[in-house]
Formats: sequence, structure tokens, C-alpha cells
Amino acid sequence: MVVGLGLSSAEKSYIAGGIAVDLRGDGRGRHHFRDFSIDTSIIPQANGSARLRLGGTDVIASVKAELCAPPPGRPHHGKLEINVECSPTAAPEFEGRGGEELSMDLSRALQRSFLGGASGAGAAIDLASLVVLEGKLCWMLYFDGLVLSSDGNLLDALSIAMKAALSNCGLPKVEITSGTNPEDDADFELNEEEFTPVDTSRFPVIVTLTKVGKHYIVDATAEEESQMTAAVSVAVNKKGSICGLTKRGGTGLDPSVLLDMISVAKRVSQTLITSIDAEISAAESRHDDQ
Amino acid sequence: MDFISPEGLRLDGRRPFELRQLHAEIGVLDNADGSATFEMGNTKVIAVVYGPREVQNRSQQQLDHALVRCEYSMATFSTGDRRRRGKGDRRGTELSLVIRQTMEAAILTNLLPRSQIDIFVQVLQADGGTRACCINAAALALADAGIPMRDLVASCSAGYLNSTPLLDLNYLEDSGGGPDLTVALFSKLDKVTLLQMDAKVPLDVFEKVMNLASEGAKAVTQFLREILMENTKKLAFAKEPLKV
Amino acid sequence: MFLNSQKALLKSDGTRLDDRLPSHVRPAFLKTGAVSVAAGSAYAEFGSTKVIVSVYGPRESKKAQAFSDIGRLNCDVKFTSFATPLRGKAGQDVSDKEFSVLLHKALEDAVDLHSFPKTTVDVFALVLQSGGGDLPAIITCASLALADAGIVMHDIVAAISLSCVGKDLLLDPTYKEESQQDGSVFIALMTSRREITQVTFTGEWSSTKASEALELCCDACVKLGEVMRVCLKEDAAEATEDT
Repeated sequence: MVVGLGLSSAEKSYIAGGIAVDLRGDGRGRHHFRDFSIDTSIIPQANGSARLRLGGTDVIASVKAELCAPPPGRPHHGKLEINVECSPTAAPEFEGRGGEELSMDLSRALQRSFLGGASGAGAAIDLASLVVLEGKLCWMLYFDGLVLSSDGNLLDALSIAMKAALSNCGLPKVEITSGTNPEDDADFELNEEEFTPVDTSRFPVIVTLTKVGKHYIVDATAEEESQMTAAVSVAVNKKGSICGLTKRGGTGLDPSVLLDMISVAKRVSQTLITSIDAEISAAESRHDDQ
Repeated sequence: MDFISPEGLRLDGRRPFELRQLHAEIGVLDNADGSATFEMGNTKVIAVVYGPREVQNRSQQQLDHALVRCEYSMATFSTGDRRRRGKGDRRGTELSLVIRQTMEAAILTNLLPRSQIDIFVQVLQADGGTRACCINAAALALADAGIPMRDLVASCSAGYLNSTPLLDLNYLEDSGGGPDLTVALFSKLDKVTLLQMDAKVPLDVFEKVMNLASEGAKAVTQFLREILMENTKKLAFAKEPLKV
Repeated sequence: MFLNSQKALLKSDGTRLDDRLPSHVRPAFLKTGAVSVAAGSAYAEFGSTKVIVSVYGPRESKKAQAFSDIGRLNCDVKFTSFATPLRGKAGQDVSDKEFSVLLHKALEDAVDLHSFPKTTVDVFALVLQSGGGDLPAIITCASLALADAGIVMHDIVAAISLSCVGKDLLLDPTYKEESQQDGSVFIALMTSRREITQVTFTGEWSSTKASEALELCCDACVKLGEVMRVCLKEDAAEATEDT
């Protein structure tokens, strides 16, 4: 791994110089995403799953649905839980507890972007659609991400993989057999033959802008990330609203620079969302053909 | 519960002496020195090798042979019920140790003194026989990394239910209460490098199950050899076009 | 039932439950020198949120850590078990470790690490009562404590958070307002340079709303920075009077 050995000063100036003239090491412009490929239904035991390869970055996301009680104070909402693990296969440093800090960082950033406010507004999925029996039974969706290999831009890759996994997800039909009175516990039966898909139109995609020198680049490789002064990850949905923002890196940013980064992220995300949706449907049809 | 139907078919439609479908791929992750995925039926494992490289912890450095380290991790979504595993759980530690000892016996560590070889095994999906699957994947990954080995290690599991020895148990059969035996063999040398069983069985039953598992391991060896040959042919072709 | 409790955050005349306007921050009480054994310390109250931070150092780095030719900043945040309405860890929704990491990120750029090479500065924060806006309070208090300890800094860091409830932007929310928010913004700002060291957004925001929220927060931080400077000057003057 190149980054583990460190970069020479010539390599560093090559990276920074390339970015300054809009021509990065692999020929991309500052605002170009790498080509990515999606495979769905790779974990048949999960309700939905997907694997995403973005350059050298390889991540797997899975969605598991379980029935449980709704969150306190919000009887008409379902629940989401997001967790990321960094496998030691990505880097020997992730052995044992080494990957814990990065995993926590990624999990928090994804939670911030997908869970919405404390009232449940602005979440990635319409939480009201996850309710089975108001006040008693709702779906809890566990999103699990696994980083197999890292070549930069893990957050974006994980958000795309999770969206693909969710598109692949089918919730079994629940038939309430008894307990519709407010005081009784609900009895239900799961119909494992019929599945309802989950609406992913509100699911945002995260675009990370990495600031190197005076310019910002989209989809940085691990080398480019090692040269960053600051990075801002913006979650944008199809409507163009910001669903979450996380800043990484210690260097201070001027508020105007921050607003500029947000507008760049919004612009890039619109084309990105269309290509993601296209890739996901292609992956699903490939899977159906098999 | 009937694990074998009156016609002699198991729960998933296999015969008692039938292996599950095997599938393997070499060189799946570019970052690592060697990587491979191995699938036995629904059990999917990815193994990655980093090394030989400089020893990270100077105090552990060995002057005459290489240090082999191994870590076994299970993904949260790998089992039927989603369970968040802590990094220090007992089963994980035991399996890490078992895999390390098996691979250490296979690697010619005296050819790589003062170095470290890291083997990381990640279970993506668990449906019985994870131990065997991990060892097979690790063997392929080591071969992909070009690390010199004494012999190819192949592993397989077997059990005994409804008075019949069964080859390559899946999760349901594994939880059926009968013995679960895993064996790893050096194919050419015909030596056993790992043998684990966790039940009480009479000696003749043990012999039957052990022989079955060994046969299974030999069949897996055949498969591993084929995969490695194909991979080598691809690499040779890429290096130089075939002279027709 | 849900909408009723949401409306309950703003009274009919547009003021909040504690009689503040939406764009007003809670009155702050800041005091340095609260812990006499520490190199520097500060105590801050923002409404019902009470935080105390002590700074030790620059002192020798732990032997286990590798040599570093710039200084090291080590941040540790703890909640007392009585800080939240529900006792202990169950009552907190954000863990100590996360806050420690966020505090470190917010202060990293402001502290001049080259001024104390090879040594470590330890920042220990303790939340005595959690009444909303905990992280901004911790960061603000930590800046004061670092200044009190005489650690060389590029600038003072002030932090503030903002809640979005329906269409209203409520600055410096209380615990009740935070638990019903539709979205939130958190900013840590270097007050004189006007540079953001840490920013997070949650919930759905349009660009115009986002820039409006940023403006509000930055102005509030700058004003908070001035209050912090006044506090530091007064406490320094008191200290020289005593000696």
C-alpha cells in the first residue's frame, strides 16, 4: 500500500499540481467520479444486500429487517440503525481494535446523514412507511456496512452501497392475527412469500469534497486524501436538499468556502444520483436474469 | 428431525457423500499481497494475506523463521440473526488460533526469517463448515501471495446423523446435535495437519466420519489445484501471448 | 398528538418556552480558574447546561507514545452519572468517546502545536448537567481553559448549535427543543479569523435555509467570542490584583 509507505515530496507536489490544473493522476477532472460497479443480492440471508466497487474501494452493505416496538414518543415511526465495520482485509492496521476509530467515524457520519432530526423528519426513508401497527409494531432496519478494501472515499461508497442494498430489500408481508386493541400485545404472522419493496426515492447520496490547496476534488483516492487540508461530506437527496453534513480534517474553513463546497456537492450529486439509479437497475436486472 | 429422507436425500437434496457446490476466485483485492474468496454452498469466506513484510512489533521478531499471524472475523450480516460481535469473542479467538497453526505448519517459515505474514479471514456468509472454508480460502490466498508452502492444505468437515456419516454439513445439520469433525490435510504428503471434533462418539463411528472427511478434503484439494492452474495459465497468458 | 407537542415549543407571541426569541442565545456564565491544581481551568453555564474543563500541561508525553516533534493535544470528555435525566450511560445518546473526538477536532487547528513540541496538553471536560447544547458548551469552555492555562493558540474557538423545528430556526436549543428538532446545525468557529473548524448538519436543509443558519451561527459565535475575551480579561485582571 503506497500510502502506508508515505509519499515523496515530488509525488505530493505532483498531486497538488495536477489538482490545480484540473487534471488528476488518473486523468480525471476535479469533479469527476470514478466508474463504479454494483452487484446486488450477494448475501441471500439478508433482506437486501449490495457490493460496490469504486476504483480500489470495495464495500458490502446489507439490510436486515426485524419487527419491534416503535421508538418512544413516536408511535407512527419505524426505526433505522446504521453500523459500519472495517475489515482487517482492507489494511493490516485494522486488525483487532485498530479499525474501531475509523468504523465509529464512518458510522456516525452515515447516521448523521440518514437518520434525520430527533423528530424523525428528514430521514433517508419515510419512517412512517415502516409502521405495521401504529404504537405496537414497526420495522427496524439494520444497515450494516463492511469495508473490504479502501482506496479513498469510503463514505460516498458506503452511502451508494446502502442505497443499492435498500433497493434490493424486500420487507415480508405481516399479517396481524390478533391484538388490535390498544392494551393487548400484537400477534402476527410473517408471510415469507410476498415482499414489498422499500421506497428509496428520498435516500440521499453522500458527496465528499476534499480540499487540497485552494481547490476541491470529488471522489479522492487514498493518495489524494493523504494530502487534504479539510474534507466536507455533504448528503444530498434527489430534490437537492442537504440531508447532512460532516467536516473532517482540522483546518479551518471560511463560511463562504463552506457554502461554495455545498453548492458544488449539490451540482455533482444530481448527475451522480442518476448514474447510481441506472447502475442499480442494471444490477437488479442482471440478477433477475440469472 | 429427519436429516435424511427415506429416499436417502438430505435436507438440501444432496446425497450423504456429496460435497456442496464449490466456487473460488483468486486475486480479488488489489491492495493485498494475496487474496482469495472461497464458497462451499452458502458459506462465503474471503481471505487476505499481507506479507512477507517487516515485523511490526520488534519484540516478537524471530531470527530464524517468519512470524505468522491470523485474524478471523465474522461480518454482522453473516449469520441468520444479525449479531454484533465484539472483537475479542471466544469463538473468534479460537478459530484465529486454529487457522494460524494450520497455515503455519504449511508455510516454509524458515525461508523468510525476521518477517511477518498476516492472514486475515473475513466470513461474509456462514452456513456451516466455516472452519474448513476459511482454511481453503487462506491456502489460496497464500498461493496468490507467492508464499512458499510445503504442500497445499485442503480442509473439509463431516458429521454423523441418523446413523449415516454425512459429508460437508450445512448450518441446520451442524445444529442437529451430532458430531462435527473438521480435518485439514496435506494432500501430496498425505498428512493430517488439523483434526477437530466436538462430541462423544464410539471409535468405529469416529473412523467412518474421519475417513469420509479425508475423502472430502482430497476432493477439495483437486478443486484447489484446478483453480490454481487456471489462475497460473491466465497470468502466463497475460505475460506472454501463447505462441501458436 | 405529535403536532401538538411540536407547537408547544413556541408560544403564541413567537417566543420560546424560556421567553427567548428564536435568534437569542441563553445567557452564559463563564469563569476561569475553577480548578486550582490544574494549569488552567474554566467553568461554564449555558442555561441549565453546566460544564467544567481543566487543562494540564504541557507535560511529558506517555512513554508508550512515539516521538513527535510537534505537541500533542489529548481530549477526554466525561458525563457525570447524574448529568442526564436518566441516570448513567443509558441516559446519554452520544457516547463520551465521540464527544472526545469531536472536541479534539474542534480545537486542533486553533492550538499552536509547534509551541510545545514533544509534550502533551491534556484537556479534561466534565459535564455536570446536560441541558441541551452540550458539545458547544464543552468546546467553548475548553477554549477558555486553554487560554487560562497559557497555551499558545491562534484564536479563541466558540461553538454554537441551532435547531430547526418546522420552519423556525432556534439558536442555542435547550434539551426539550433538541429532542423534538427536525434538523440541527453545529458549528465551532475561530472567532477573530472567522474560520469554521467543525461543522455538522443533520436533517433536511435547502441551500437558502442552510446559508441562513450558517450566518446566524457564525454571528452568534463571534458575539460569544467577545464575551469570552471580556471574561478572560477580567479574570486576568483579578489575578494580577491578588498577587
